[in-house]
Formats: sequence, structure tokens, C-alpha cells
Amino acid sequence: MITQRTKGRRKKAVAAAALAAALLATAACGGGGTDDGGEGGAAGFDAANNKVAQASEAKKGGELKFAGVQDADSWDTTRGYYGFAWNFMRYYSRTLVTGKAEPGAKGAEVTPDLATSTAKITNDGKTYTYTLRDGVTWEDGKPITSKDVKYGIERQWAQDVLSGGPVYLKDVLDPKGEYPGPYKDKSPDKLGLKAIETPDDKTIVFNLPAANSDFEDMLGMAFASPVRQDKDTKSKYGLKPFSSGPYKFQSYTPNKKLVLVRNENWKQASDPVRKAYPDKISLTLFTNANDMDQRLINGDYDLDINQTGMSPQGRTTALKEHKGNLDNPVSGYVRYAVFPQTVKPFDNIHCRKAVIYGADHESLQTARGGPVAGGDIGTNMLPPSVPGAEGQKYDPYDMAGADKKGNVAKAKEELKACGQPNGFKTTIAVRNNKPVEVATAESLQASLKKVGIDVEIDQYDGAQTTGIIGSPENVKKKGYGIIIMGWGPDFPTVQGFGLPLWNSKYILESGNNNFAMIDDKTIDGLFADYVTELDEAKKEQISTEINHKVMEGGYYLPFVFEKFINWRGSNLANVYTTDNYSGQYDFVNLGLKK
Amino acid sequence: MTAPLHEPTAEAAPSAAEEAVLAGSAEGKAVQGRSLGRIAWERLKRDKLALTGGIVVLVLIAIALLAPVITNLVGQDPETHHEDLIDPLFSTPKGSLGGISADHPFGVEPVNGRDVFARIVYGARISLLVGFLSALVAVVLGTVLGVLAGYFGGWLDAVISRVMDGLLAFPQLLFIIALVSVMPNEMLGLTGTGVRIFVMILVIGFFGWPYVGRVVRGQTLSLREREYVEAARSLGAGRLYILFKELLPNLVAPIIVYTTMMIPTNILTEAALSFLGVGVKPPTASWGQMLSSAIDYYDSDPMYMVIPGLAIFITVLAFNLFGDGVRDALDPKGSR
Amino acid sequence: MLAYLFRRLFAAAVMLVVIILVVFCIFFLVPRWAGVDPATMFVGKQADPQAIEDVRQKLGLADPILVQVWEFFKGLFAGRTYAAGGDVTECAAPCFGYSFRNEQAIWPVLTDRFPVTLALALGAAVLWLLFGVAAGVLSALKRGSLWDRGAMVVALGGVSLPIYFTGLLSLAIFSYGLGWLDAQYVPLEESFGGWLGGMILPWITLAFLYAAMYARITRATMLEIMGEDYIRTARAKGLREPVVIGKHAMRSTMTPILTMLGMDLGALIGGAILTETTFSLPGLGAAVLKAISDKDLPVILGVTLITSLAVIVANLVVDILYAVIDPRVRLA
Repeated sequence: MITQRTKGRRKKAVAAAALAAALLATAACGGGGTDDGGEGGAAGFDAANNKVAQASEAKKGGELKFAGVQDADSWDTTRGYYGFAWNFMRYYSRTLVTGKAEPGAKGAEVTPDLATSTAKITNDGKTYTYTLRDGVTWEDGKPITSKDVKYGIERQWAQDVLSGGPVYLKDVLDPKGEYPGPYKDKSPDKLGLKAIETPDDKTIVFNLPAANSDFEDMLGMAFASPVRQDKDTKSKYGLKPFSSGPYKFQSYTPNKKLVLVRNENWKQASDPVRKAYPDKISLTLFTNANDMDQRLINGDYDLDINQTGMSPQGRTTALKEHKGNLDNPVSGYVRYAVFPQTVKPFDNIHCRKAVIYGADHESLQTARGGPVAGGDIGTNMLPPSVPGAEGQKYDPYDMAGADKKGNVAKAKEELKACGQPNGFKTTIAVRNNKPVEVATAESLQASLKKVGIDVEIDQYDGAQTTGIIGSPENVKKKGYGIIIMGWGPDFPTVQGFGLPLWNSKYILESGNNNFAMIDDKTIDGLFADYVTELDEAKKEQISTEINHKVMEGGYYLPFVFEKFINWRGSNLANVYTTDNYSGQYDFVNLGLKK
Repeated sequence: MTAPLHEPTAEAAPSAAEEAVLAGSAEGKAVQGRSLGRIAWERLKRDKLALTGGIVVLVLIAIALLAPVITNLVGQDPETHHEDLIDPLFSTPKGSLGGISADHPFGVEPVNGRDVFARIVYGARISLLVGFLSALVAVVLGTVLGVLAGYFGGWLDAVISRVMDGLLAFPQLLFIIALVSVMPNEMLGLTGTGVRIFVMILVIGFFGWPYVGRVVRGQTLSLREREYVEAARSLGAGRLYILFKELLPNLVAPIIVYTTMMIPTNILTEAALSFLGVGVKPPTASWGQMLSSAIDYYDSDPMYMVIPGLAIFITVLAFNLFGDGVRDALDPKGSR
Repeated sequence: MLAYLFRRLFAAAVMLVVIILVVFCIFFLVPRWAGVDPATMFVGKQADPQAIEDVRQKLGLADPILVQVWEFFKGLFAGRTYAAGGDVTECAAPCFGYSFRNEQAIWPVLTDRFPVTLALALGAAVLWLLFGVAAGVLSALKRGSLWDRGAMVVALGGVSLPIYFTGLLSLAIFSYGLGWLDAQYVPLEESFGGWLGGMILPWITLAFLYAAMYARITRATMLEIMGEDYIRTARAKGLREPVVIGKHAMRSTMTPILTMLGMDLGALIGGAILTETTFSLPGLGAAVLKAISDKDLPVILGVTLITSLAVIVANLVVDILYAVIDPRVRLA
């Protein structure tokens, strides 16, 4: 997979993508209504996976009905952290740049949205300049200005009021944390953040203290959305955000129902990304996943907003009777077990490797749901959607090859090298609210028993994940030698995925994600090289190298490169998955057939 | 099968206890005590359904005790994974009826292919132990405190009643989830699953007693004003005497019913606790745990639901039949 | 009678305070024992220590428990002002606070969800009383008959399967399979038919679970009472059997049934968690389940307060009814 991020190549890519989209569209026109289930019918298995299904059948109008079991953590663009929420936010919020409205890897490339073009990068990659498009407006018809963009971004500093969201921009633009945030800002216009300048209403300039090669990817994310000061209801903003996109909030009751209607002040001409097919978009929240799946199958709803795959019962029914309505995308998540080095005997690399060799990888895959619903056996730690990933081609422990059922002999050898020839005892920590993770823990337990490693499974309160396994002291105290987790990229680069997991700087007393407690100068150095490297090819090379270093350390036992089985309602048109949102359907341009 | 009850029972003697009071002497008591027990046993022996229930309960207990022997006979164990028997696409067992075969008489579990028969047999240990003992805890606590509150009244009643109200109103789930994070691994000389079972029995019993307590209190309230209690009192019977000889026998019916009805609820509560991480640790099997994981396969592998469901049903039915029999046999006014 | 009521209400108020205090303790003290920082649950994935500290301040997690309890009760009667990081919110009485998760005011959530739960509990109670008590009486009168045994087997079937199963099976059969009912919640204001269609299955499923208990208790108590002297007296007086049963026997049978009804209704109004979850009913139970798993303290407190009130009121009514049904029982 090649992604092109430098300026000149990006333009070419745009042209190529446009051509590809046009070809696909024609193909859909020509071929529509024959072998793929017919007009108005389902498009076929995997028809929308990395390609566009039934683009030509999308009509203006109608109500697009989402169902879900999990509401967004917040619909406030600054506070949301769920991938599906970012995806959905594109309906009512625009950013300077955004992911392309195209399938697969192309979707992860940035394209101008509010801005007229992608950034003009100067000053050795430390200055980014954008000009805003004409005719971009808020839901009350007033123009969106560069100051609104700046204010929207500044809200990220107000963590005391607006907690929960990512803080990438804050970390990059103000690493020392000098700016107090807009609500405590002494300057009268509340635009005191020095790193962003707004010389006029159309221009915005970002001055980075140090270059970061992923900066524009960050600006393409929902948390870089503009917010207008006079409409900022602070902590309550998520209950009714003020729209800059084609739809606006009509009503919202958390955990119950959300309805968006057309924003009459949004102009198609001002927006190169959004098609805005439906008239109305609704989200109904369920508490019973089996019930929701059945209602999706019955056609009461068009798709699942959570995009985390159907539950086992619904999946089986759908695979048997409605295969044409399913897509099987790669989610961008890696599911794995990680070995904290602070817990003995996992301070010894050989004991870690003993677990890796002792595990039955195929059984772990089955526990995750099998090759289709669970994913391919994970052989390394970089998810396939991240540039520089090699997928199953890089398999240092033969997990998908000869040793996929585990290798008892090698495991015993490693145990000997570790000084524990008779095995040892340890504890697996697993979230109690993820039955699939408990199933993988049981699989691991069963296979490790064969090599003499005796594990106890401890199910902890999944709501307190960050408090329990995010506290290295607690992990050590409880003796969690194996932690079962999963991780997906916030944005698909090695920085957006691996920095908090593998960089020694991210070993925190509380809210830690570097569970393995990796403190490796080489890995830290590679990350430092990565953020200053502007050449795409070299960035990929560094990503690959980081992945190799992590795998060689034996810190992780990957289970699967996760895949989902997602439901695509028969009435949906112009459907495709995008790497920008971890293999979810790109919500913003979904249309209805009738 | 027997004479309908509304047939006036002329030969029914006055309550045995009443007679004892009237007789008032140690000698009378001894005679009555012996014959009451024998009468009850004679009656129970004649009640075929109750006996069947009792035998089934005994068989279940035997199965639980002999779990390793039984599974050895079949050649299966509850923890070995048989992923080769699972359809990788659907995660359900290959073959019909949940993978029932000669090797696996009850089929295998979805996802990991563990033998369902072995897990049912081993699960009986956890489910019966937790189901029975926690019901016992709840009933003992509930009866004692309920009778105290109902009979003595006053401030004692006020305190016990308010505690019961408080426990009923309390968000138990919050308590249980909080318990997940402070669950010790060792206590009172127990380790691992032992601790878990002990804690579960306590928790389920503790939150269950107010239900029994309130019913018993209500009954006691109304019984203590009855004529025969008045009579006993006027004859100078002591409070404790009245409590144990006059009131308790009349509370037996609702208590037995309550106990038998609590068992299935407790077995299912055990599942919920295990599911949340407070109960038995995987891969230990329990009926409730099997039933709650069967929810994801209710249509694609219904046998996986039917088998633990039937196990619970049979246990409860047997216990109810037996309980009814015991109740009838002990009933001093009964005609059988 | 008035003095009795007054005393009960006073005791109830004390109990409410105690329950709320215990909830606070569980929320704050238990994580401390376990070494878990509750503030980390409310920050993003890469939160720095400053952000965690800010959140702690904002949610008031750093204040002593008693101060928080005091603020909570004060808010109920006098309203409350929240100020954090330049964000000031006035919350008028009765102020139940704002959700830690979605910043929604709690009071409207409670008033929005309460009717759903109330309708669920009352509707189901009517059904289980009708069928449970009737089956129990019939079983008692025809003791040992096929009817008696059959009713018991059916009733026990209802309690042997968890409600998320019976609920899902009823959905699978009547909604997905036969298509008789849509079985999705529709607010009563929108359409009565839709509302009824959405409530029938939850009512029946819930009643199925409870009817067994009521039938068994009715049967047992009835059998006990039919042997009593006063029934014999009533018969001896030449009263017809229906009168004996309807007037004399039923009256005494009501005591345990009422007790149970009080408890069950109280508990269900606090949230029929599993039923609401299975049928996706937007009631208090679904809300509290979500709140507990999200550690959303203000929602937990709000629902707990309603539950406690419901239990207290229901039990108070039951205690008063004891005296009405059985004049010999004195209220003390």
C-alpha cells in the first residue's frame, strides 16, 4: 500500500483517484442490476469493502436510519474519542482538511475541505498556512472565519471543562502547556494561543515549535473543527453542537435518539467532499445487540453506527441468509496480549517468547471469531492500514505459518533459557465487559497449560481499564503478567498508532498505555526521526523498522489483524469502507435508493 | 391423587403444638414429638411425587460429588478445547444439535468446543452449592430477623424493617461491580475459586434475605394476633416458646416455597456474578454461565441453551416437588 | 395513625441519607482501596497528569465525601452552581446535577424515563397478579390434580430461564418470526397503539417470571389457611364454598402476596434492568445499568434516590394495608 503525502504527489493522487472513482461509478452504472442482486437489492458480499457499491443508485432525500448499542462518548468535536463519532461528525462539522471521500487507503489521504487547498508548508515543515474557501457558512448563515477555526482548536486546551478527547494538537503546538485555554484566556477575543495566527478572516497560520510530519493528518480530524465563540455552550456543547456541515441537530437525547436534519445554509458549491444525499439522518440506540442485529436484518434500520461487527447470532443469520448485505473489512485494530516487563518473570525476554511460542494462534483466532469475523492471524504489531505495515509477510515467530498451532518444543526451550524449565504461574488481566476477550484468555490459558505455564484469569471492571491496567504500580501489585487488549490507530500512521504504546516518554503513572513498559532508546530514536522526516517513502521505512524492533523485543503476542462483518442495508447506496475510520463505512456520503 | 382439601377433615386433630400446650407437660411433649416426626415421615413416604423429587435432588448431589468419576467414564473433561469440531465461519459446532455425537453426548460449546456434558456435570458442583447455600443464608437470616421484627415489634421492628427497605432499595449492581475491583485472592484460608464461591454465597444470601424477611415479618404480624397464640399467651407460655412452637410451624409453608423459588434465581445470579468477574474464574463451568453465554447462539445453536436450561429446570422442579411434600408432611392440619 | 406516618417518613428520610452516603462511599472509597483513580475514566487516551487533576477538580472528586453528600442534598432543595475552568452552570432546585459522561441534566432524564418504567412495572404486575394468584388458588383447590402439577411445571419454567432469554425468545417468535408485534418502544404521546405494541411483550415476559412466585406462594398460603379453624367455622355455618374462599380465605392469603407485591413493585420501579435492556425500553433500569458501567455518579444517585423512594412508599402502603386487611394487626 502506498500513500502519497508530499504536495506534488498528492495532486497526482487526487487526479488518479478522481479517475478511479469515475471508472467505478461507470462500472456501477453499467453493471448495476445484474449479478449483484439487482436494483434496490443487496450489492453482494464485500461489494463495499475498499470499493464503492451502487454509487449510481443514490437518490436525494429520505431518512437514513442508523442503529447502535453505544452512544458517542460526546458529540462535541473536541471531546469525542470514538472512531464512529468522528466519522459521524462529518455530517455537521467541517475541518480545514479532511479524509478523502473515497474507499480504502485513499480515504486516509487528506483533501481540502474548508481550506482552498492542502497546506502551504514552509520553514522546514514548521509553518502551515491555509486559506479558507468562499461561501462556507454556519447553520445561521454567517460565514465561517479563520478565527472560528482557531477557537475550535483552542478548546482542546480547556481539558478541565472539555475532557475526554485527544490532545494531539495541544501536544504538538504547545508542548510545554503554556496556553491556559480559551475559557481562562486573558485576551479579550479569547484567541491568545500564540502558535496559531489569523491575520485575516480567510487566512490561518500554524507555527509549530518543532516539525511533525503527521501534522496535517491531525488537522483533518474532528477535533480540529471550528466552533463559534458565541455558540460555545462549553461543557454542554456536545448536546447540541452548532453545525458547519450539511446537517444540523434537530433533537438529541443521550443513549436514546439523535436526529439530524438538513442545514439549509450549507451550500453544495462550497463543499468538495460532502454529497448530502438524505434529507434526514437518525440514530436510534438499543440496549440489546441481538435485537438490533435482527432489526437491521429486517430492514428497519440501514446500518450500525458502531461499526464493530455484528454479534455472533446476527452474524450467523446474516451469513447464511443475507450474505450479499455483508462487508468484511479489516478494522485497523490489532488484538493482542502484552507482557509488562515489571512483572516477573516477564522481565526476561525468554519467558515472554515462551508464551509467544506456546500459544495456539489458530485457537486464539477462533476465539476472536474465526478468519472471517475475527480476522487473519496477527503476526506483528502494525495494523495493515498503517503505511509501512507488511501484514502477514512479516511473521518473525511463524505464527501464521508452521507454528500456528503453537510450538511446544520451542516454548520449552525458551523456558529453559529463562531459567524456568518447569514453567511458571502468572495472571491474565482481561476486561469483564468483552466476552470475546475472555474467550481469548481461555484459549491462551488452555494452550499455555501444555507447556507448563499455569495462568489464572482475572476479569477486571472494563469501565476502569485506564485506572487498572493504566497504572503500572497496580499491574505490578496484582501480578498481571499478561494483559489482553486491542489498539487501533487514531490516524493511520505509526505515530497515530504506536507512539503511546512503545515510546518510553509515554510510560505514565496513571493512564499509561505503554503496558509493556518498553524503554528502548532505539525505538524512541526511530520515533524522533519519524516526526521530522517529510519524505513518505522514508517515513514508511521507519515505521517498518519500529514494528520490527517491537516484535524482536517479544513484548507482544498479536492475535489477529481484526476484521469485522458489518451489515449494509439493502436500501443503502454509495457505500464504501475507508481506512480513515478504521475500515468503517464512510458515513458522510451514504445515500438511499428510495 | 388424594382427597381434595375442601373436604372437611373431621379427623384432623387440633394442631400438635396446641395439644402440647394444652397438655403442658414434658411427658406430653415427648410423646407428641416422636409421633409428629414419624407421622411426617409416613406421610412423605406415601407421596410418590415428593419422593421422586427427593431422589432427583440426591442424584444431582451425587453427580456433583462424583463429577470427575462420571466424566472419566465418558472420557471427556470440561476444559479441553476441541476447535476442530467448530465451524470456523459461524463459531458454532459442526453437525446438528450442537455437535451431539457418541463422544460428546450433549454436544460441544460454540467457539472453543469444550464438552458440554462434562461442563454440565462439573457445573452442577458450583450451581448447586451456590444455589442451595445462598438460599439457605437468605432464608435463615430472613426468617430469624423477620420473626423478630414481626413478633417483638417496637424499635426492633423499626430497625430491622428499615434495614430491609434499605437493602431492597440499594443498587446491588453498583456494589457488586465495586466488589470486582477489591476481590481478594485469598481469605479465611481459602484460595482462588474457594474465595469466589464463599463471597458469592454471602453476597447473594445477603441481598436475598430482606425478601424472605419481609414476608415472614408480615405473616408473623398477622399470626401473633391469632386466637391460638392469644390462647397460648393467656396460658402463660413464654415468648420464646410461642415463637418456636406456635409461630414457626405456621411459617413453614411460605418459607419452603420461598426457598425453592430462590434456588433458580440464585443459580442465575451466580451466572451474572461470574460474568462480571466476581464469580468463578474461567475456565470453571457453571450452569448459569453456560446459559448466559448461550444467548449469543439462541438461534444458531439452541441446544447449548436447552441443556443448561433443562438442568436448572429439573433441579428446581425436583426441589419444589420435594419441598411441597415436606411441607404437606409437616403440616399438622394436613389430612394425608 | 398520623404519628405512625410521621415516624415512618422520618425513618425514610434517614434511610435515604444513609443509602446515598453508602453509594458515595462505594464510588470513592472502593477505588481507593483498589488503587484505581476514578478521574482516569473521564479523560482521553493520552491524558497528562494535569488533565487528570483538572478533571478531578471539575467533577469534585477531590472533595471530602461528606462535603459532596452535603452539596448533593443542598442541590436537591436549594439548587446549585457548578463552576469549573471558566464554565459556570446554574442548576435550579430540584438539582440532581449533571451527568459526568454527557453533561445532561439528571432531573429531566429521570422525569423522562420514570413513566416508561412505571408503565412496565404496573402493567406486568396486573398480569402476574391476575394469572399468578388465580393459578395459585386453583392449584390449591384442586391440589394434586393434573392442573396443579401442570401449573407448577409451567410456572417453574418461567423462573428457570433468565429473563434475557425468555425476552429474546418472545421477540424471536412474536416479533421477528410471526411479525405480530413490532415490539419497539414508542412513546405514549406519539401513538397509543404503538406504545401498547411495544409494551405487551415486556409485560408478558416480566409477568411470566413473577407469576410463578405468586402462584406458588398463593397456593401454599391457601392450603395453610384452608385448614384453619375459622374456615371450618365458616363452612359449618353453612356458607357456600365460593363465599368461604372468596371472602374468608382470600383475605388471609393476601398478606404474603401484598408483602411481595410491595417489594417487587418497589424494586421494579427502581429499574427492571434486564427487561428494559432486553427490549431496549428507555427506562430507569437501562439508564442505571449504563451509568454504573460508565461510573456516572450523578445518574446513579438520581436513580437510586427514586428507587429508594419507590421501595419506601410501596412498603409503607403494604404495612398500612396489613392493618386494613387484618384488623387485628395494629400499626406500631
